[in-house]
Order: sequence, then structure tokens, then C-alpha cells
Amino acid sequence: MKILVCIKQVADLESRFVVPDGATWFAETDLAFRINEYDEFAIEAAVQIKTALGEGEITVVSLGPARASDGLKKALAMGADQAVHLLDEQGPVKDSWQVAQGIADWAKPEGFDLVLTGMQSQDRGSGQVSIFLSELLELNSVSCAVGLDAEASLLKVERELEGGLRAMVEVSTPALVSCQLGLNTPRYPTLPNIMKAKKKPFETIEVGDLKPNGQDVQWMGAPTSAGAAELIEGDLASQVAKVVSVLKEKNLVG
Amino acid sequence: MKTLVIGEVVQGKLAETFSELLGFSAALGAETSGLILGDTTDRPSFSGTLYVAPGAEYAPKAHKTVVLEAIEKEQPDVVVLMHSAFGWDLAPRIAAASGGQQLSEVIGFEGGVYRQSCCNGKLQRKIKPGAGLCVVTLQAGAFAASTAEGTPSEVALEQSVDSAVKLTGYKQKPPADVDLTKAEKIVSAGRGIGKPENLEMIQALATALGAELGSSRPVVDAGWIDAAHQVGSTGSTVTPKLYMACGISGAVQHLAGMKKSELIIAVNKDKDAPIGEVAQYLVVADLLEFVPALTEALK
Amino acid sequence: MALESTREIYWNIPSGSLPLMYLLSFVATGVMLWGFYRRLKVYQQGQPWVVWPDMGSRILRGLKLALTQKKVKKQKGIGQAHSLFFWGFGVLFIGTVLIFIQADILDPLFGVKFLTGGFYQFYSLSLDVAGLLALVMIVGMFVRRMFVPKMRAAIQPADLWLYLDLGLILATGYLIEGLRMAVTELVQNPELAQYSPVGHGLAQLLYPLGEESLRAWHLGIWWFHMVLVMAFLGMIPFTRLKHIVLTPANYLLFSPTPKGHLDTLDLEDEAAESFGLATPSDLRFKDIFDTDACTSCQRCQDRCPAYNTDKPLSPMKLIEDLGKVCTDMENGSLIDAVGKEALFACTTCSACMEICPAEIEHIPKIIGMRRNLALMEGEFAGEEVAKAMDAMEVNGNPLGYAPAKRADWADGLSFVPVEEADYLYFTGCYGSFDPRSQQVAKALVTLAEAAGVKLAILGPQEKCCGEPARKMGNEYLYQSLAAENIEMFKEKKVKKIVTSCPHCYQTLGKDYKDMGFDTEVVHYTELLAQLWKDFRFQLDKKAQDVTYHDSCYLGRYNGIFDAPRELLAATGAQLTEMSACKEESFCCGAGGGRILAEENLGTRINNKRASMAQETGADTVVSSCPFCLTMMEDGTKNLEGDSVKAMDLAELLVSCLPTQTPTEEK
Repeated sequence: MKILVCIKQVADLESRFVVPDGATWFAETDLAFRINEYDEFAIEAAVQIKTALGEGEITVVSLGPARASDGLKKALAMGADQAVHLLDEQGPVKDSWQVAQGIADWAKPEGFDLVLTGMQSQDRGSGQVSIFLSELLELNSVSCAVGLDAEASLLKVERELEGGLRAMVEVSTPALVSCQLGLNTPRYPTLPNIMKAKKKPFETIEVGDLKPNGQDVQWMGAPTSAGAAELIEGDLASQVAKVVSVLKEKNLVG
Repeated sequence: MKTLVIGEVVQGKLAETFSELLGFSAALGAETSGLILGDTTDRPSFSGTLYVAPGAEYAPKAHKTVVLEAIEKEQPDVVVLMHSAFGWDLAPRIAAASGGQQLSEVIGFEGGVYRQSCCNGKLQRKIKPGAGLCVVTLQAGAFAASTAEGTPSEVALEQSVDSAVKLTGYKQKPPADVDLTKAEKIVSAGRGIGKPENLEMIQALATALGAELGSSRPVVDAGWIDAAHQVGSTGSTVTPKLYMACGISGAVQHLAGMKKSELIIAVNKDKDAPIGEVAQYLVVADLLEFVPALTEALK
Repeated sequence: MALESTREIYWNIPSGSLPLMYLLSFVATGVMLWGFYRRLKVYQQGQPWVVWPDMGSRILRGLKLALTQKKVKKQKGIGQAHSLFFWGFGVLFIGTVLIFIQADILDPLFGVKFLTGGFYQFYSLSLDVAGLLALVMIVGMFVRRMFVPKMRAAIQPADLWLYLDLGLILATGYLIEGLRMAVTELVQNPELAQYSPVGHGLAQLLYPLGEESLRAWHLGIWWFHMVLVMAFLGMIPFTRLKHIVLTPANYLLFSPTPKGHLDTLDLEDEAAESFGLATPSDLRFKDIFDTDACTSCQRCQDRCPAYNTDKPLSPMKLIEDLGKVCTDMENGSLIDAVGKEALFACTTCSACMEICPAEIEHIPKIIGMRRNLALMEGEFAGEEVAKAMDAMEVNGNPLGYAPAKRADWADGLSFVPVEEADYLYFTGCYGSFDPRSQQVAKALVTLAEAAGVKLAILGPQEKCCGEPARKMGNEYLYQSLAAENIEMFKEKKVKKIVTSCPHCYQTLGKDYKDMGFDTEVVHYTELLAQLWKDFRFQLDKKAQDVTYHDSCYLGRYNGIFDAPRELLAATGAQLTEMSACKEESFCCGAGGGRILAEENLGTRINNKRASMAQETGADTVVSSCPFCLTMMEDGTKNLEGDSVKAMDLAELLVSCLPTQTPTEEK
């Protein structure tokens, strides 16, 4: 089984984001990067499926600037067999449609049986690349998996719906599944695997022109605090007193 | 301006969020047509055309085909879905068939420009759609529900059987010992509590207030508390009189589940925490000190 | 007639029976040697023995430690008792050797007898006193073994035979002497008899039996005594007694590295099939020998903070368990034998290694096993630890804060560039990000200003020193972080470092040497104590009742006990020591990387330590470590009864700095 895992390297969400005036993306200085959390579940799912089936080849791909290779290396250390870096320094500011095209252009001739990726990225959070990719590759796809069972060519997926409800879906390969948080527990790479990863095939391909979708990002910045909270600061005793008085005022406490 | 709003059906019921789709459409002053995918006897109230396509409740290809049919007939400018498991799955498929213009989890629309939240609520973007069809998904609760009356004229559409992807059933979460949707007061614990042992102090505060204990998703994912206590888009959506968020930064999914609470008081070390966007008060303190102190004062 | 001060060796023993005696001796010695020899193949399962060129000095050192009983005496009371027992038996042993030398070598070959005259008097008296001492000690040991609950619980089957054998050897020795003296000395040489007081007393009691009876008893008991001694010799390697040989032998194998030294693994080694300790073949010769050198004295266990809070870890049992796997000779799993819960419960406080009279190295074995789990299996003490590892990798700190925010604590404070600084203040992760510890960092800056010391900080370019990762077994992550920090230090030409965290202090000052960084690193207590002595800053004395908690990595690991106490005295504080202080300090619970982990088993170590602080009656427990401060803050909050405040020494010092006189422009 040929498995493809699509990952994105994102800035760590704890970072302090600074958007320079007039820019439409935050500055990357002093930022720490990591693999998009959702994609880690996809990598783990791929490794688990390969182990369960006893066969398979996992390719991990990422479209992004030079630094994205770090994420690919970690994916190799987690158990992927080979990596492909679709190099695009403008990756972070391209729209999802362009990213999906970039990956699809390379992936289509490869003929993957199963494509796994995170449901959304932690920075944009649009959840589009996965589905766009499946449409471009003409694959059946199911999003938001919190459960995934792969038996040869039949996939049993548990989708997470609102209110804690889950939908059970079956789909045959070739297919794409996007992974939700909690699908599994991504493994910590062992040292032998980190060392082996250094020798695994790693291909870098420069991405060509990608057709944008016509949207125009006009502005990016910190949310304007319309109706922001009243801050209660000061020493502990006065903070407690203030909250108690607010609660009393609204008749929430006796 | 013409919109086509798409409603989802789960277990035979039309999702109530349909009224938010209508509300969005009304806010745009648009001519609205609707589409329901799945078997249901529920019908929304609005004036316009309602396409009804009974059949599977989840069938990506078949649903996409029906939607494209409706688009062909109605020629809308914007196709609108909720940013739900159903919506974020279907919306990109529709967009892919028409140039890829899709905007997820929209939180606002002013002067022809959409507003989106990103980076866990720390940043926002304003995006002007290009020419051609735009498919948007709305954040739950971002737009006021429509209170319109009226009976739409129905048009039946056929949903072909999607043999490739099969919905075989649903799984309900186990019966909960707590129903947060009915709670009048809720005190919630977030990742900021640090360790599971500290849930006790949050519970103590909840008890002192006569409130139920809630939590954000990370606390549930870590196994510290049962999923029944989860507040958020994938947990419970609550509207209590009092919501106290302790150590919760305010991820969009959590906010979606509680921002309609009447009084929101957040306790957080970080005065810039996104929860401040929806809270009336933000106590800038270490919850490990503040919560026991408040509990003590309430006794 | 003038009687000689001497005695006939082998008096009353038919010369024909001497060959039998020698035969028995050879057999017993043979059994003893074989008993030890068969252990050799167990030891050889591990990495090959490394022969050191300094064996001469090792032997000298070992002899000194063994003869002075220095390490044994660390346990007050029972340590002194053991020393007396040891010296007592030692004297008796020397006495026997001297007899052997005269009777089997000097007399038959050269006709020389030296056990005569004044020397013999001294000899006989010494042996009598030594024997009495040994006998009293044996009885005491027996009583302790039978009636002290924790000793009774650890009784081994052979123990009662050993007490019997040793006690009887001593008792029969006196009987033989008394019986002989009754016939040869009591009447004939009363002046000499005085030099064997016990024998003299017995002789007087037994005299009435008459010569024939006395001789018969003497012969019988002599043979009985002989058999007992042979049994003793033969039993040595198969019982607790093996420590007589193995424990001093272990002194020869000691690691001459600084306290807390851990092997810096060559992780690039392509030939290495495995990292860390998984099976006996991974252990060093010394590691396996350690398991044999253990006397099961329980002193490590008595002091272990994990053991004393109902965790499954006992350092003694850990060594025993490793010993069992090695003895089984099946190259079995060390980690399975010890148990992962026990393995991860260790805080590396080193109380075990500090007190161990056999110089057993518990901690390197624990870290070695953790390394195997972390590096080969990606397994950690818990999910939360794996997350912290991830955070260290991505953000350069285990708390997961953005590296860009690392200098936020220093907003508003002024520093000089590294080239102009007296010291680089390596703030550490807690000082940089944890609100409580940030106060300590600021306090240190204030103190430096008061003393006219120029500080620089690295800010966002500083990364975690890597210590918690290393102690949790993730040697790879530690080395990556260390390499990055060292490159930064070299780039900035850092000459001197001051830190407020003993873990950073140990790691930057000692561990980093193996990674090619050798620069002066001081802990702030050392620096401030020196500055105080040099009159570089003033303090207004404030009377307050405090107790001081010695951090493991400052105290036991680095011997820094006096500097903080001098500073406390300088503030005018009244110090009441906890009973477990200085080298005997009880860990706060956060070491060994456990600051990253949740404490789910047993009771809380920090609560126990906080109670100890409370017992002193002090108002404040002072420490000089961000981990200790974190644990003491938590622990003191959980106290019932008199409240105790937790403070860092830097904060206390700042509160005693003289306040500025108000200026005109107010």
C-alpha cells in the first residue's frame, strides 16, 4: 500500500505573533516551529497502519519554505520511509487552493492508495487543503477522523460531530482521510529512528506556478478589542472582593 | 446578492443552526434559497426556494452533485454552510468545482469583506472575495439567528446513492451524569490548571457557587475529566447565567460553545488571552491562588 | 625461675592432628576462594574490566577507607559500633596471622619466635580486649536484628547461623584460653596471666576441674573452634559475610569523576546497537560488582525520598533486583526486574550514594536504564514528560513558552553586553518563565546592582541547559540543547557564568565539560557570600526565625553548605536546622527530571519536607533553587497547623538591603 502523509510546519502557537504594517502574514523572527499538531496524528496513523498491515510504504510531503524540512525529518524519524519537500518560500502566504494544487501536481502520477493529513492547520485553521487535495486527486475522502481502522482496502472511519456524537463511515481505498485531535498518541521518535531518518530518501522539488483562487487578503492583525473584558488586577484580596461584588450585583450569590 | 444556504441533517433532524445561515443571509440583504441534504420532516421558516434532497446524511460525492445542481439552478453569489463537521467537509468540495474560493469559519462580514480568526484566536484576517462563486462556512454563534417567518416553496432534488463512502451509523457518547446545557452556572477548568489534582479546587469553587463543573477540550483529551464536561463546538454549547473560565485561553472552538453566556468571568495569568474577547471580566491572576481565595470568600 | 612471657602454640594439640588442621584450612580456604571465583563469570557478563594505571593509589585509598571505616561511620551510632566490631575482629585476625607466621614460617625455618616477652604481653592483652569488644558487638547486633522491626523484616535465613557461628567462635576462643591458662599459667605464671584478663577469669572458674579434665575439654573445644572457623571461612562468599571481601574490593573500583558525573554517550556511534542499560551485558564490570558489594544495610533506603513516601522505589532493592538478573546469567531485562514505576520515581538526590558504605553507584544505573527507555523506546515517565521533551525541542524550555518571551521578566531592568559583564546570568527556564521564580531572578539582579556587579543575560538566545531531559534519560535532547548553548557561549565569548539554579550550576559547570565547555560557573550563593566578605554590599539585620533547606544539587553534589548559611547569618536571621540537613538533607522531590512529571504514587515528597520545616518552628523555609522553591511553595500550602512561608535566599537578602534615603525631588 502506498501511503502519503501531508504535513505542514507551523509556528508554535505559544509564540508572540507580530504582523508588520501592511503585511498579510506574521513575521517569522524569533519564532519556534513544529509540525502542525493535527498532522502528527496523521503521521502516527500512517505508521500504525503500515505496522498493522505488515506492508506498505509511507511518503511524507510538505509544501513550504526551507525550514519545512525540519518537520519532514521528524516525520521520517517517526517512521515515514521517504520525504518530499515541495520547496516554496512563499508557502505560508499562498491560499489553500494553491497549496492543494502544488501537492496534487506532484502526487497525482504517484498513485497513492491512502492519503492522510491533519484536518486543519493550527495557524490558518481553514481545513481546506485536505478536501481540495482529494478533489484534485479525484479520491474519495472523509474528514475529521477520531477513529481509523484500515483493513487492506476498506477503511472504517469514525467522524467526530458536534455535541460528542460520532458518525461511522466506510470508504474503500484509494481514499484520503483527514485526522482530528485525539485520533491516537503520536510517538516520540527513538534515537535509532532519528539516526536512520538521516539516511532515508529526501527529495526537494521546487514548486512551479500555482493558480490563486482570487481572494484578496487585505489585512491581518490582532483582534480589535471591541467589547473586551474589564481587567481585574491588583492584589489577591481586592481581586476576590471585586468578583464577589460583581456576583452579588447580578444576584448570582446570596 | 443571492445566497444558497445548505442545511445539514443528523439523525433525521435538521440542525438548528440553519437559522444562523438565514440570519447571515439576511444580514447581507440577500435573496435566499436553501438546500437540505438528508431525510427529515423538519422545515425552516423563510421566504424563498427550498431544495430538498432526501437520502444519506453524509455522502460527499452525492451531496456535492446535488449542491452543484442547485447552484446551476439558482446561480447564487455565495454558498453558505455552518463550520461544522458537515460544513467543513462539504464546502471545499463545492468550491473545488468552481475555482477554489472558499472561506472557513467566518466571524464577520463588513463592507463586502469577510473577517476570519486564525492562530488560535490571536490574529484575525480580512479577506475580500474575488469574482465568481464564494463558498463560506460560518462560525457557530457568529451571526444572529434569523427570526423570519414564512414557508419556502419546495423543490425536490434527487440524491444519488454514493456507494464509495457509506455512513453506517452513529455512536452516541455514553449517558452523562451532567447536562451542561441546562446548567444555570458553570465553572470551567482549562489547561491552565496544570495538573489533574487541581480540578478539585475548581470543583470546590463550583460547589461554593452552586455551579456545574465544565472544562475545555485539552483537559478532556488529557484524560483528567470525562468528556461530558467539555464545553465547546465539539462538546456542549451552553448559555448559563454565569460562566467562569479558569485557566482557559479561549480557543475559538471553546468560545463557540460558551460565548452566549450572560456573564463571563475569566481567570488567567495572561491579560491578553483571547477569552478576554468574550468575557465581561478578566481577573489577571494565578488561578491556583485566586480560585481557592474566591472559594473561601464565598463561604 | 624466671618464666617467659609466652605460650606454646598448639599446646595440648597432638602434632599428628596438625596435618588434619592444615587440610581443613586448605579445604575451607578453597571453598571460600571458589565461592568468590564463581561470581567472576557473573561480573564478566558486563563490559570488560578496565585496568587502571593508578591501581597503586586505588589500593592505598581502599585500605585507608576500609581500615578507618570512614564511610561506615557516616551513620552515627551504629556506624561507630560496626567500626568497633571491625577493629575487634581485625585485631583477632592479625593475631591469628602472627601465630601462622611464627608457627608455620619463622619458627620451623629459622627458629625465630617473636611472640614472647613484652610483645607477647601486649599481644595477649590486645586480643583479649578485642575479642571482648567483638563479642559484645555480636550480641548487640543479634539483639538489634531480632528486636528492631525494620531489621527483623530484612532477616535472611543464614543470619541466625552467622550469629551463632561468630558468637561461638569468640566464646570458644576464650574458653580455650581459659582452659589452657588453668593448666599452664594460672598457678605457674600469674604475672603473665594478668595480660589475658578474660582468660584469667575463666581459668579461675575452670581450675577446679583438674588437669586431666581441663586438657580433655581443651582439646575438644579447640577442635570445635577449628571447625567453626573453617565453617566461617567457607560461608563467607555465600552469605552476608561476603561483604568482608567485596565491600573493600569495591573501593578499588570507584569512579574518580566528580559527583553527579554521567557518561556523555557518543550518540553518533554507528557501531552501537543499543543505548542505555537494558541487559547485564550493557552494565560495566563495576555495576555488576556493585550488586555483590551491597551488604543490605538499608541506609540508602532509609534516606530515599521516594521510598519514604510510599513509592515503589528502594535503592537497596533496585541493586538487589539488578543482582538477581545478573546472577541468573540469562541476559534478562534489567528494567523489567526493577520496574518502570520504581525507575521513574528517583529524584537523583544522591542520598543513597552519599551514605553507601560500599560506594555503590545507584544513580548512573537508574539513568542508564532511563536512557534505554527514552532513546530506544521513546518512553518516558508519563505523557506530560513526553510533552515537556517536545516543548524543550521546539521552544527551548520544558514549560512551552515562546522563546521570544524568555527575557520578558527582565523588562525594565538594565544589563550590560556580555563583553562588559562581570558575569553572564544564566537565568534558566524557571527564572525566565515561572512567575514565582521570576521574582528570584529580579532579586538577584537587585543584589548584583547593590554589590556593583555587572550582569549580562542572553534572553531569547538562552536555551534550557538540558538537565531535566538528561536525567529523564533523553541524552540526545540534552546533547542538542547543550551543543546549542555552548555554541552561543563561545560566540559571545562568555567567560564567567552565575546561576540561581543548582541544576543549571551542575550542568553548565560540570556536565558541559564533556561537551567541550570549561568556564567558571558559580552559584549565586557562592558569589554573594564572597561579595559579602569583601564588604561589597550592606544588609540591615532583621530578626526572623528561619530554617534552611539544602538543595541536593547545591549541597550533596557540590558541597555548598556554608555560603548560604553565612548569608543567612549576615541578615540577622535566626537559623534552626532541620534534623535532615546539609549532607543529610531530604530532597524536595523535583530532581531527576521529576519537575516535569506528575506525582501519582504514594504521598507527596514536598509535603513531607514541608512538615520537616514546620517542625523546626521557623516561620520561613529558605532555599536557593527554583525547583525547591516551587516544591516548598506547594508543600507549605498543604500544611495544617502553623504556617510556614517559602522563600528563596535571594529574596530574603533583598528584603534586608538598606532602603534608599529619600531624595529631594519626591
